[in-house]
Amino acid sequence: MPLPSPQSSTSAGPAGPAGQELVPWWRDRRVLPWLVQGGVGLSVLVVVAFLLANLIRNLTAAGLLLSWNWLGQPAGFDIAETLLPFQASDPYWRGLLAGLVNTLRVVLTGLVGSTLIGTLLGMASFSGNGLLRGLTRVYVEVVRNIPLLLQLVFWYFVVFLALPNGRAALQLPGVVLAKSGLYLAGFGAAGWIGPQLVNGVWQAPLRFSVEFAALLTGLIAYSSAFIAEVVRGGIAAVAKGQWEAASSLGLSWFQTLRQVVLPQALRVIVPGLNTQYISLAKNSSLAVAVGFTDLYSVAETTLNQTGRAVEVVLLLLGTYLALDLLISLLMNGLNRLVQIRER
Amino acid sequence: MDTLLRRLRHELFASKVDGLITLVLLGLIGAGGAGFLRWALGQAQWAVVRANSTLFALGRYPIEQQWRLWLLTALLAVATGITWGMLRSHPRPDRVGVLWPRNDRIAAVLLALLALGLPLALGLSGAVQLRWWGITALLLLWRWLAGRFGPGLPPLLKRLLPLGLPLLYLLGMVLIHGGLGLSPVSSSEWGGLMLTLLEASFAILLCFPLGVLLALGRRSELPLLRWGSVLYIEFIRGAPLITLLFLGQNMLGFLLPGGMAPERVWRAAWVLTLFAAAYLAEAVRSGLAAVPRGQLEAARSLGMSLPQAFASVVLPQALRVALPSMVGQFISLLQDTTLLSLIGLMELLGTARTVMANPAFLGRNAEVYFTLAVLFWCCCAALGLGSRALERRLDPAALARSG
Amino acid sequence: MSPTSSRSPAPTTGSGDLMIEARGVEKWYPNGFHALRGCDLTVQRGEVVVIMGPSGSGKSTFIRTFNALEDFQKGSITVDGIALTNDLRQIDAIRREVGMVFQQFNLFPHLTVLDNLCLAPVLVRKRPKAEVKEQAMALLRRVGIAEQASKFPGQLSGGQQQRVAIARALCMEPRILLFDEPTSALDPEMVREVLDVMLSLAAEHITMVVVTHEVKFARQVASRVVLMAEGEVVEVADPETFFTNPSQERSRRFLDQIL
Repeated sequence: MPLPSPQSSTSAGPAGPAGQELVPWWRDRRVLPWLVQGGVGLSVLVVVAFLLANLIRNLTAAGLLLSWNWLGQPAGFDIAETLLPFQASDPYWRGLLAGLVNTLRVVLTGLVGSTLIGTLLGMASFSGNGLLRGLTRVYVEVVRNIPLLLQLVFWYFVVFLALPNGRAALQLPGVVLAKSGLYLAGFGAAGWIGPQLVNGVWQAPLRFSVEFAALLTGLIAYSSAFIAEVVRGGIAAVAKGQWEAASSLGLSWFQTLRQVVLPQALRVIVPGLNTQYISLAKNSSLAVAVGFTDLYSVAETTLNQTGRAVEVVLLLLGTYLALDLLISLLMNGLNRLVQIRER
Repeated sequence: MDTLLRRLRHELFASKVDGLITLVLLGLIGAGGAGFLRWALGQAQWAVVRANSTLFALGRYPIEQQWRLWLLTALLAVATGITWGMLRSHPRPDRVGVLWPRNDRIAAVLLALLALGLPLALGLSGAVQLRWWGITALLLLWRWLAGRFGPGLPPLLKRLLPLGLPLLYLLGMVLIHGGLGLSPVSSSEWGGLMLTLLEASFAILLCFPLGVLLALGRRSELPLLRWGSVLYIEFIRGAPLITLLFLGQNMLGFLLPGGMAPERVWRAAWVLTLFAAAYLAEAVRSGLAAVPRGQLEAARSLGMSLPQAFASVVLPQALRVALPSMVGQFISLLQDTTLLSLIGLMELLGTARTVMANPAFLGRNAEVYFTLAVLFWCCCAALGLGSRALERRLDPAALARSG
Repeated sequence: MSPTSSRSPAPTTGSGDLMIEARGVEKWYPNGFHALRGCDLTVQRGEVVVIMGPSGSGKSTFIRTFNALEDFQKGSITVDGIALTNDLRQIDAIRREVGMVFQQFNLFPHLTVLDNLCLAPVLVRKRPKAEVKEQAMALLRRVGIAEQASKFPGQLSGGQQQRVAIARALCMEPRILLFDEPTSALDPEMVREVLDVMLSLAAEHITMVVVTHEVKFARQVASRVVLMAEGEVVEVADPETFFTNPSQERSRRFLDQIL
């Protein structure tokens, strides 16, 4: 039986290919990956160059070459509801900024509202009460299988625009909901003031337009169904033994959930929430369907007036990407916090 | 009966708090249900739906050309019947000899009831109603034929049969669009449910290969492919669909040489496709991640090339894992078609807006939106149900149990 | 650092009986870890070479270089007269001739047992399906699980799965079989049935390279035993010598731990 001859190992660094002889380049596994990438890269480059060349030619022909000077010109349109004082004589950039502020307002309130309701719904789907569980299920299934846009127009045209005005409006302590808007109590010049009827018109320290209220209701109703599913998944991911251990210690259902299960479930929930928050931010652009003036709505008007398609689209996409990134950053920070607490 | 009562008590009245919750919820359900019934049977004026049912179905498609759509519907019914029957007759140890399993019987009865009831409820004319009955009968007949005689067909024919579906799709395009001797119908006259389904099906069919390629690219070891795919996927997923549709309508004309830009309907369809591809890629990626590395190694060690290994070993497993989230994406794609109404296309929601702008139906928002909601809900829920059934069918564990 | 055995050098001329010839194979992982430090090995036709060694010694990495599942940076490998270079055609040719059995079986879970066997011969060797099926059934009978042919891998026990995996490798009619710890993932009571199949293969003089911890198997059928440690081939000896009177200190230490 022939036996091998073990040889001394060399101590050179990683160098030199395994094969010594010449390999045809089209079958060489060192060359091929670069060939494939070069081919794909080149074809993408050609397509992009083709599109850009057309863009520049067409824009030149239309006299619309990339420029941002128009941002300083007076906008000539009004924005009904804005935190940032804005009138028609203000420049476009101010209008776009006012739109952005409106978008942020919707997104922020929407985030808070849908997180609260979604968490409650998610917890309710683990309730011992069968009816409550069933209703949560029905709610989620109904909301998720109907387009958001349809829900928004439904809330606006069917529910909110059918509200009565004046004395017949829906009234709760400190809150009045009428066709003319949502009125909330707040601090005014004379201290705490609730909504008051003055000459048949409601007045209050805080007033939101009915468009804003409808948009917010629709977004929250929609997002909370998805967040409920995220929360439910997170709670389901916590081992069953945790429930049993906690109840064997005499903790109630709510105490178990609050003290034992939710803190552990957060690990799974937070990444899921990130996704939902980003889609809420993107979905807020549907405000245009209910006549609320958000960033997209201002951008659309701006484009129609100026014809500056490229600049407006760039601004829009850039802003939404930045908004997503911001949410992701914040949620990643939260995620780290949650993961560390585990240790 | 006794156990049922005991279960009900345990579920609903386990404690005082539970009992209170149950009573409050029951009250709310009762009040809501009564209010809804009062509205639906009393106040609501369903004439707006009845009078415009053709508009909701087809948009402003010319009346003298509508026979083409009837023909297409009949062909679709035949194709559905054959597919259904062939899928059911597929050899499964637990179903030998069962031509109509229980679920199929339920589905068939529901279909028949729908075909009988819906045209009556919509107040369609006798001739139209007759056509719907015919189409339903056609579907069930071919379901029976395929289930009865499908297994006996020669294997080659059985293998070629699925090719009929893409052919039917192309034929459908011709029927809708015109050409090949049919007078053309401009895409600006397409609308309603037809346009919704057209846009959704086009995007679903094309986003699938694109999404798989992007997912493979994202998991590739080649840095250029990987980063290219990541860039595309993240860019698309970061932008609201409405801004992309806006981009498609307003910038495509600038990006292409004059006259080459497609019509508005097709621009929207392409934007939907490119949009959905990015989301689908993420679904497929999670499926790919679930396939152990050893699978690829085993395939390679057997001498398979990389494309062979992916096509017959890795992708079949990855797509099965990704199926639920892929169908989820298709469902949201179907829902997203409503956004086309915001850029002026006459799909279902756009048609609804024109209907309600008609002075005769002013203020009939609730009836129209409610109808659309029911329609969308049924479509999406059916897709979800179908996906779960398919999932069970493709699960090796389930196959194992039935074997 | 240079381990030497007292054995005489093997004939290195390209005789037709030389199935695997690895010379000075060195591998670094991308993270800089030096996994193989100049490994040599020759395998003659019909030999059963058993590679042993502590975990992390590079045994698996070494045999995975033989069919290019791992690449290497220095040295040369020739399999059945085909040099393992960067030429994809050569790599494909080698993979067709070299079968591999994995620790985790790696059966295709979405295919039946029979389809697991038939897939590669039909796709790669372009053989007619009917003929391959017949051969596959014969192989399944040989490993004793013909009655499971239409089941899915998930329905089989670990030992059965590993036997299917061996049959799958054999169905490509390879000239060399590589075993990467074929019994390590098995419950103890199933090790026997897999080893029995491997014994019968050895009795038919199929060339095999086996990474394993099964001392009894090595004693029974190994032509030679190779000990690897820290990425080096420490000792190559016939099983009798290796287990009773190893020449290297590291071999002795290893044997002390496992025997």
